[in-house]
Amino acid sequence: MPFKYGLELLAVAGILGFCALFLYTSSIMSNAEFAGSDTVGSSQIAELTGKSIEDYQPLIWQWVPPSGEIESALFAIQAAIGGVLVGWVFGYWKGQKKAA
Amino acid sequence: MHIMEGFLPWQWCLVWWIIATPCLVFGVYQLKKVLEADREALPLLGVTGGFIFILSSLKLPSVTGSCSHPTGTGLSAFCFGPWVTSVICAIVLLFQSLFLAHGGLSVLGANIVSMGIVGPLVGWTIYRVLRDTRVDMYLTVFLAVAFADLFTYVVTSLELALAYPAEVGGIASSFILFLGIFAVTQVPLAIVEGIVLTLIFKYIVQLKPDILSQLQVFPKEKITSAGSVA
Repeated sequence: MPFKYGLELLAVAGILGFCALFLYTSSIMSNAEFAGSDTVGSSQIAELTGKSIEDYQPLIWQWVPPSGEIESALFAIQAAIGGVLVGWVFGYWKGQKKAA
Repeated sequence: MHIMEGFLPWQWCLVWWIIATPCLVFGVYQLKKVLEADREALPLLGVTGGFIFILSSLKLPSVTGSCSHPTGTGLSAFCFGPWVTSVICAIVLLFQSLFLAHGGLSVLGANIVSMGIVGPLVGWTIYRVLRDTRVDMYLTVFLAVAFADLFTYVVTSLELALAYPAEVGGIASSFILFLGIFAVTQVPLAIVEGIVLTLIFKYIVQLKPDILSQLQVFPKEKITSAGSVA
């Protein structure tokens, strides 16, 4: 690294670049829906086989979150579990380092 | 990257489960061995696993006009190897198929193979080739993470192409079709994920360099020299 905060700068630049790219593409692609690639992939399967999406039923019964709100809450819980783990460990290491 | 429940014929579900199961069993065995050898590896496992939880829940928009999520598997792949990573991924993917209807129990095997096994294996291989060379440690980390992410989606495309060959052009042409949906969307995400996790790795080097040299993640000289500059 040429200087101390090279990676931090690169990360900020990367994230800003990503946002700029999104703002640009979403402004020129007026019909983009920004659906999940899972969904787009599934429609592609339906197109390839000439069936409709409804013909694909779960092989094993599956609970589906009743609404997008509930789904996003569950995703937030998933991220929170990860965040707690990461924060806890970094704090633990920081404390260890201080005590040493 | 999930294949959705019901979208893979049962024969293929079975094939991917048969491939995934021995990898998971070996992963559990390796995990036990690592933790028995050194309890201080557990916090590192927590951090690398934590990032899989966080990053795989973030669905980000991309240039193709659809959304996809990073995988976060790279850190764990080069710190603990692809097999241990497959176990953590299996937990995340199980959570998502039970509570979020992303993926599903029948396609779980296929999703574990792409996100938990082949993706991390590709990242780990790149890392393993570059580890003992003079290539910069952070560049190695970036490449391992970015390719672990990208190849997850390449494998998903391949899994779908094998199950759904196009009428004209067969497997190859539907592979290209699915690559266009999954892998192209993923390129910018993989690059950003690579940079962000490299930064996280720098913090691990600063805070806890000894666990990285104990687990022989990188040669000691590389870790010490990186730690002294940063």
